Amino acid sequence: MKLYRPATILVGILFVLIGGLTRLATPEHVFDEQNIMISKGTIGEPLQFGKEASITVVRVKLVKGVLEPTASSSEKPIETDGIFVAVEWQTSRGPEKPDTPIATLTSDSDAVFSPIAMIYSGIEFGAAGFTVSGSIVFEVDPTELQGLTLDVRPQQFWNVLNRKVSVDLGIPSEESAQKLIDNAAEEYVLPRSETRVSS
Amino acid sequence: MESLDDVIDDLIADRVIRRHRRTWLILIGVVVVLALIVLATGGWKERQGRAVPTLTVTADTPATVEAGRWEFGFTRSEIVREPKTDYSTAKAELLVYFDIRNIDTEEYQSGTPRQNLLRWVPGNGADLVESSGAYCRGKPGWSIVYGLPPQSCYTKFEIPPDFTADEIEVGILGEKYESDDGLLGADETPYWHNPEATAVVRLRPTVVVKEDKYR
Repeated sequence: MKLYRPATILVGILFVLIGGLTRLATPEHVFDEQNIMISKGTIGEPLQFGKEASITVVRVKLVKGVLEPTASSSEKPIETDGIFVAVEWQTSRGPEKPDTPIATLTSDSDAVFSPIAMIYSGIEFGAAGFTVSGSIVFEVDPTELQGLTLDVRPQQFWNVLNRKVSVDLGIPSEESAQKLIDNAAEEYVLPRSETRVSS
Repeated sequence: MESLDDVIDDLIADRVIRRHRRTWLILIGVVVVLALIVLATGGWKERQGRAVPTLTVTADTPATVEAGRWEFGFTRSEIVREPKTDYSTAKAELLVYFDIRNIDTEEYQSGTPRQNLLRWVPGNGADLVESSGAYCRGKPGWSIVYGLPPQSCYTKFEIPPDFTADEIEVGILGEKYESDDGLLGADETPYWHNPEATAVVRLRPTVVVKEDKYR
């Protein structure tokens, strides 16, 4: 008796079953995305990004106008109808080159804010063994400041296990948000990013 | 040296090809004639004309268009001419000014309108020209935040240096919040894409001649 054909069919059925089983086993309700782990933390905490890199939020400032460091003295700061949130950061990395970081701010009510399109506003990594510090600025609706969270996710081309950073910017209530808005500085000059040897 | 088999094979092949040659020639001829007829009668594609509303913008009535996640309020347009100098050729740009508001009630996400959402309609069946995106607060690609009041911006279109027009038309496309087809294995989370024609605005451009200080 030829066993070839029934065996082929059996293997096919087995594959289908295994496919269904893995689908059942995926922890869909545990993670938003199956391949992204989240490093959660607060201001001042170094948080793991990707495999070997780390991102620390140093301080957060609310400001009404932003200027490039290259701006001439006669140039007016760029203003907003909302408010600018400047997040000053520090990064370091291991030997492996980290993925390009993509930063957004998310509020408690799920509004998403992107960084402003200025050259010196962004998050970057230096060479291995060096710490870089700089600033990234977001334009934000002032009514959405409560519970603002900085998300930095790695840009990935392949669907591999990765780790993103989620930092609570420490604006717990509307009163604290209002206080921050009242004390917001008139202008903020984006710092040039600085590199130094990691200690 | 050729064997007898080869010779016979050649002979048969020759016969078979020759037997059908006339049919083939007639068939090819028919296809060519059909193509010529289709071309002569205005092409294969059916021209439907404009299926979206056309709004006219005058000095005191801006046109408001809601398209996908953006609300545009068109105000005015300019043809900016840069005369020829010793160092550069003559150039011209078509600038269209509008107020833009983020009405993304699906994702509440900041963003900037894509370049293909605003298109200049040159008319006479010519291809549409994509914009250069939105310049807001003097910066290209400035993000428009959900929840903030409208922001006045402009976009640029490339035009020939000798372009003149009393009236220009700009087409607005709106993206749809939908997912790709999951049957083909795509992720089924919806996102903003698939822009669809929403409206056309008609503007009367003013001509501005840029002075070159190095002239």
